[in-house]
Amino acid sequence: MNEPRKCLIIDDDEDDQEIFKMCLRTVNKDINCVGVFNGQEAIDMLKASDEYVPQHIFLDVNMPKMNGIECLRILRHIPELKNTKIFMYSTTSEKSVLEESMKLGAEKYIVKPAKTSELKKILSEILL
Amino acid sequence: MNNHNSSSLKDSDILYKKVIEEIKDYAIILLDKNGIIRNWNKGAEKIKQYHEHEILGKHFSIFYLEEDLESNLPFKLLTEAKETGRAAQEGWRKRKDESKFWGSISITAIHDDAGNVISYCKVTKDLTEKKLVEDTLRSNEERYHRMIAEVEDYAIILLNPDGTIENWNAGAEKIKGYKSQDVLGKSFHIFYTEEDQVQGLPDKLLNIAKAQGKATHEGWRVRKDGTKFWGSVVITTLHNENRRIIGFSKVTRDLTQQKIAQEQLNVYTRELELQNSELEQFAYVASHDLQEPLRKIQTFTELIKENFEDKEFTTKYLNKLDSSAKRMSKLIKSLLEYSRLTKEKDEYNEAEVDLNSLVKDIKQDFELLIEEKNAIIDCDLLPSVTGNRTQLGQVFSNLISNSLKFAQVAPVIKIRSQIVPKSKIIGAPEYLSDFDYTYISVEDNGIGFEQKYSNLIFTLFQRLHGKNEYSGTGIGLALCKKIIENHNGFVSATGKLGKGATFHIYLPA
Repeated sequence: MNEPRKCLIIDDDEDDQEIFKMCLRTVNKDINCVGVFNGQEAIDMLKASDEYVPQHIFLDVNMPKMNGIECLRILRHIPELKNTKIFMYSTTSEKSVLEESMKLGAEKYIVKPAKTSELKKILSEILL
Repeated sequence: MNNHNSSSLKDSDILYKKVIEEIKDYAIILLDKNGIIRNWNKGAEKIKQYHEHEILGKHFSIFYLEEDLESNLPFKLLTEAKETGRAAQEGWRKRKDESKFWGSISITAIHDDAGNVISYCKVTKDLTEKKLVEDTLRSNEERYHRMIAEVEDYAIILLNPDGTIENWNAGAEKIKGYKSQDVLGKSFHIFYTEEDQVQGLPDKLLNIAKAQGKATHEGWRVRKDGTKFWGSVVITTLHNENRRIIGFSKVTRDLTQQKIAQEQLNVYTRELELQNSELEQFAYVASHDLQEPLRKIQTFTELIKENFEDKEFTTKYLNKLDSSAKRMSKLIKSLLEYSRLTKEKDEYNEAEVDLNSLVKDIKQDFELLIEEKNAIIDCDLLPSVTGNRTQLGQVFSNLISNSLKFAQVAPVIKIRSQIVPKSKIIGAPEYLSDFDYTYISVEDNGIGFEQKYSNLIFTLFQRLHGKNEYSGTGIGLALCKKIIENHNGFVSATGKLGKGATFHIYLPA
């Protein structure tokens, strides 16, 4: 009946992706999570397929080649993703980055927590 | 009829005699052929102070000074008048009270019908006042010229309307190095740098002076020996009463010391600013870039605690913990290395650094890698620069290492150098001193970068590539920048994605 929810994480850091997926599985094991290591790859993938439309995208900020803000700007212009919620997910908590991402249409700005319990809490609130 | 004639003659004689007697502005006296005074007039009394009864019968040399008597001047004048008809002279004479006056004298020989000299007529005018005024004027003029000539701190020179040098002073010799015989008649263009001459600066200044009365300028000028000085110049147009241009005065002051001091001040100010911004950047980087590994250490520790019974999991995450800790340690070491690059004069070993031997050493260090990658390092003959050999070595080592690393085909690295003035440096920051620089370019044919990142790449820990693509902490270029700036230089980069990158280093020459 209901397709399992899809989520996409864009982060150049392997460890962070692994932690994220681990926590996500604990919160909701039915969510299908794909991990991509850079913004360009994500954009190419999303543009290539009409069928793959994740409900949630988690986007890191500090990435080489294309940073999160750049990526966000482009993602928000993809018509298929108009209902997708994009969450910034970053180590940096700089005000200017925060403001810029909210301006560009991010749903929320998540600062990567040190404790997994913290992350699980945040994820459960989002996926409610 | 005869009576009428002779009486009118007699009348005119009397009148004439009265005229001569009563003239007060000129001493008109008659001398006999030996120079004895036979006649006197009011002018003579006024000028020479003798009354008629005191002076008649005396020789006219009584009016002459000692030195003129010794040189026989009275006799010479009489003789000249006798032979040529007239003698004229200007000189000092003395009055009855021994005071002096400056007289203009004319002695005319009077002849009888036979042509013999029967008498001399001596006309004297007192020009003392005029002479005094003239003398004062001349001595003032002399003093004025002396003043200009002897002033050493300012070059005060006179130019003709066409810009050729008419006059030179001690200051000009001191400041510009030329003696007056070297420059008189030459054009004042010779003091300007080649660049300024090509751009027509000297004539531009003359034109401004003509249009506005004066032109001022500050800039580099060239001495006789080719060295430069920083001159502050004022060119003033000189006019005569008819408003026609008769020349230009050019006053130059040597402000090289002040300029150097000002540049030094700028350097210090810039250092202060740099240090401040570095501190800010440092604090930011320290907190930000260290946060990531630290966060992971906390997360991994937590995960291990939660899963301590799962040996495989625990082992895996203990390894990750170790990696993160190592990474943090590396970052901290880099930070410390970077922060240690402060310009402390006592620690700073300045010397002449032979860049050729520097590059040679680096080639040797990278020998294996160069061979492995089939790399070619093509280096021009480089000049020596003043600085810290170790630090400069680090700069070149970083750049060459980068060129070797960020390559997809066999690397070809070209190193070139030339001397350029500050004006030729593209993107030169304002604080850079206005001197000449040794420009060294390091060009490679590697993967390059997008020009928009040309400033970003010099930021501490900033990397354009992921950890999995190319290794590195992202500190190399930041270090290069800091070292070059410590040497009062400037570094920038240009790049083309896929084509290669060129690094431009400028160090004070």
